[in-house]
Amino acid sequence: MSDRWKIFLLLSPALLVIGGLFLGGLILGLVGSFGYMPQIGLDDVNFDAYRTILTSKSFYLSFLLTFHIAFTSTVLASVLAVGTALILRQSFAGRAVINFLFQINLTVPHLVGAVGILYLFSQSGFFARLAYEFELIAKPSEFPAMIYDPLAIGIILQYVWKEVPFIGIILLANMQTMGLNYEAVARSLGANQWQSFRHVLLPMITPGLLAAAMIVFAFTFGAYEIPALLGQNYPAALPVLAYHAFTNVDLNTRPEALAMAMIISLLSVIMIFGYVRLARRHLRA
Amino acid sequence: MTDVAIKYLTKTYPGSINPAVDGVSLDIGSGSLTALLGPSGCGKSTVLKMIAGLLAPTSGDILFAGASVRRQPPERRDAVMVFQDPLLFPYMPIAENIGFGLKMRKMKKPEITKLVAQMMALVQLDGLGMRKPEELSGGQQQRAALARALVLRPKILLLDEPFSNLDANLRIEMRDLLKSLQRETGTTMLFVTHDQEEAVVLADRIALMLQGKLKQVDNASAFYARPQDQEVARFFGGKNFIFGTSRNGRFTCALGTLEIPDHCISGKGTLTFRPESVQIGGELTAENSFRARLRSKTFLGVQTRLRLTTASEEFEALVNPALAQGLAENTEVSVYLPKQALWTLA
Amino acid sequence: MSLTHPSNSEKGLSTLLRLSVAVLVVWLILPLVPLAVWSVSRSWYFPDLLPAEYSLRAWKYSLSETSGVPGALGLTSAIALCTTLISVLIGVPAGRALGLYRFKGKAVVELLVLAPTIVPGIAAALGLHVVFLKLGLAGSVAGVIIVHLIPTLPYMILVMAGVFANYNPATEAQARSLGATALKTFWYVTLPAVLPGLLIGSLFAFLVSWSQYILTLLIGGGRVITLPLLLFNFASTGRNDITGAIGMIYILPGILILLIGGRHLTGRSRATGTLGQI
Repeated sequence: MSDRWKIFLLLSPALLVIGGLFLGGLILGLVGSFGYMPQIGLDDVNFDAYRTILTSKSFYLSFLLTFHIAFTSTVLASVLAVGTALILRQSFAGRAVINFLFQINLTVPHLVGAVGILYLFSQSGFFARLAYEFELIAKPSEFPAMIYDPLAIGIILQYVWKEVPFIGIILLANMQTMGLNYEAVARSLGANQWQSFRHVLLPMITPGLLAAAMIVFAFTFGAYEIPALLGQNYPAALPVLAYHAFTNVDLNTRPEALAMAMIISLLSVIMIFGYVRLARRHLRA
Repeated sequence: MTDVAIKYLTKTYPGSINPAVDGVSLDIGSGSLTALLGPSGCGKSTVLKMIAGLLAPTSGDILFAGASVRRQPPERRDAVMVFQDPLLFPYMPIAENIGFGLKMRKMKKPEITKLVAQMMALVQLDGLGMRKPEELSGGQQQRAALARALVLRPKILLLDEPFSNLDANLRIEMRDLLKSLQRETGTTMLFVTHDQEEAVVLADRIALMLQGKLKQVDNASAFYARPQDQEVARFFGGKNFIFGTSRNGRFTCALGTLEIPDHCISGKGTLTFRPESVQIGGELTAENSFRARLRSKTFLGVQTRLRLTTASEEFEALVNPALAQGLAENTEVSVYLPKQALWTLA
Repeated sequence: MSLTHPSNSEKGLSTLLRLSVAVLVVWLILPLVPLAVWSVSRSWYFPDLLPAEYSLRAWKYSLSETSGVPGALGLTSAIALCTTLISVLIGVPAGRALGLYRFKGKAVVELLVLAPTIVPGIAAALGLHVVFLKLGLAGSVAGVIIVHLIPTLPYMILVMAGVFANYNPATEAQARSLGATALKTFWYVTLPAVLPGLLIGSLFAFLVSWSQYILTLLIGGGRVITLPLLLFNFASTGRNDITGAIGMIYILPGILILLIGGRHLTGRSRATGTLGQI
């Protein structure tokens, strides 16, 4: 059997499943977003769904909110992950334990983290009680709203909690691969601690950091359950809006839901392109 | 130029009992090339890192031109290190790599460009400034690493086995380059290596380190002719050690009573001599000559190795192959040990 | 080797380090603490910092049939197991192809495998819903298992591609030349070589399926109630004590898996990207 056939046979089940489910789902979604859903009696091809959502204020508000959540979470998580990785790279007593805690976060589902954030930061949550204890507030409603709030602070906190370990673990692997000698060289060539971080370590971990950040951005832009649990009703995050439009009793809103799903995918595709370009440049280096 | 001195330098790594570097003192003359020689794990790289400021000593001091630098961070010491791997920053073109240290010192761009160009000519990398490190050969990369260090005109250049990852021919080429760079720039250099041949070829002075301790500091020939003890002699390929007693310029052992140089120790000790200084087939009447049985001979190319035994001792000789051809195994031969080739160890 | 230069007083530095480590530890475990406390509280009203009364009521309820938790636990496990098994069966050959061979179009295949780890599942699932409805898969366990393959299969393929990239296929040729049949070669040579990576990959693939929410909700249509759906319902109806207990049960497999395979959880593999969505 020639290698070509062997490779084809080895790959075809996987390509069939991923192609069928993932690509198929996206293509069906795209077709449906143009209003063509014969299964539910819509067989007209048009741009109505896009026209509707692109002229509705609630879509823009949702889009902005979702972008704000994804962007802020990604930037905060990236910065904190760099700091955390720098700490965890040092050797100190008990590092193994901290590393384990760090990894545990990675296995705790987002939903559980969201519930934890809810119990910590809601107006009757732990921090509100602490504020009452120190007589900073007299009743729950005086505690600043961080859940169901317009700035989505609770959602962002949850994402930061979950994604710092995710990005951090990727950065730690990067730093491990590069070792300490590059920085030692820089120091001996006259760079101070900050310069050796800024001119040597940071550029060397940047490809890994950007790749991880793009994954986080795409995920936080398209995740449903966290904004569904911690977010306000209006404006809702885009995936929540899409889900509600999809499950609406009025079947005519389904193309709109699919159009929103397509917009979410489009943003991720932009992320993938960036990722691939970076990965290539990283490979060349 | 600066002379560098280390005083009773000791480093014990956290969690280990034995010091990696144990009370090492060494003076490195301004403009000299000193080799710090020793087997892997003897602590020589640790010494280098402490001088560079990349590692804090447990005790002891480091002096540059008489002033302690112990409390100075690495970037202010002007002691630049070159590692075994070139460690060029992969995302920077070569010229930028070489100019890195100057940029850190906030030097003006045109000046950096000029100095970098000069340095690149010196290490024969002209025209490669815009290349990325991975586009250069291993030898070119290590030359760039050297240039990156030398362009800073450091008080001392610390080289940590910089050529050991290169193949044999390239290594020889790089040694010559380093020698000529040292002559041209007059930079004080401390060169760490585990290869005694490299140390002998390169260095004005060799400091031999074994198990964290400095054993002997001398010029190269002294390590062959006058090693301090058996360990040192063995590290330099010494093979012949014969136990006996030294008295009044004579050494009495199983080989007979031999005349030895005046400055040898007296009392119980070990006689040593280089295999290549043994002479075969001379007159038996002369001083320091005796009979021995030739056990085996092995042709090594340039020389032939002979294994010789007397009643109770065994020793080795390296002789001209043409001479060895006339000798038959398991016959008696006459052996002559020149007085000046003998040395005694405590 | 530490890069801190000797003039930094070692004590001052370690104080800063110790402080940041302490903040890090607190921040890492803090969100899990109220869940644990709620699960054993009987009454815990504002502004009490700690519950006024403790009880195992929430745990008892959660472990009883009426709560639906034991059923959901079984169902979630069964779905995750089936998903993992299918991912292994399909993903191992594909991983072998990607890890061992260079071929035309490899970059496209890799892109197709990487894409589902980045594009949110909700996008594909919304499109698939209609077809699943027509095939009778919507609202069924089988449908949920199939849709869970979207995140788990690419993960498995990427893990196995990494495993096979470090595998020397010449050992197979050696076994064949020593007289082993193709099947025996697979059983005695290939499988033992890739098994450690395969097992660790399977554990994390299990976890990826275990943590799915929106795919289950969309395709299960509310009829396939897995643990996260139950957790979400209790959390949004304010039953904090029961939510706490379910939350604790829900994170248990992850911790167990980490204890078994934590060593292998490094950011070196491209497969790690999938773990961001757990």
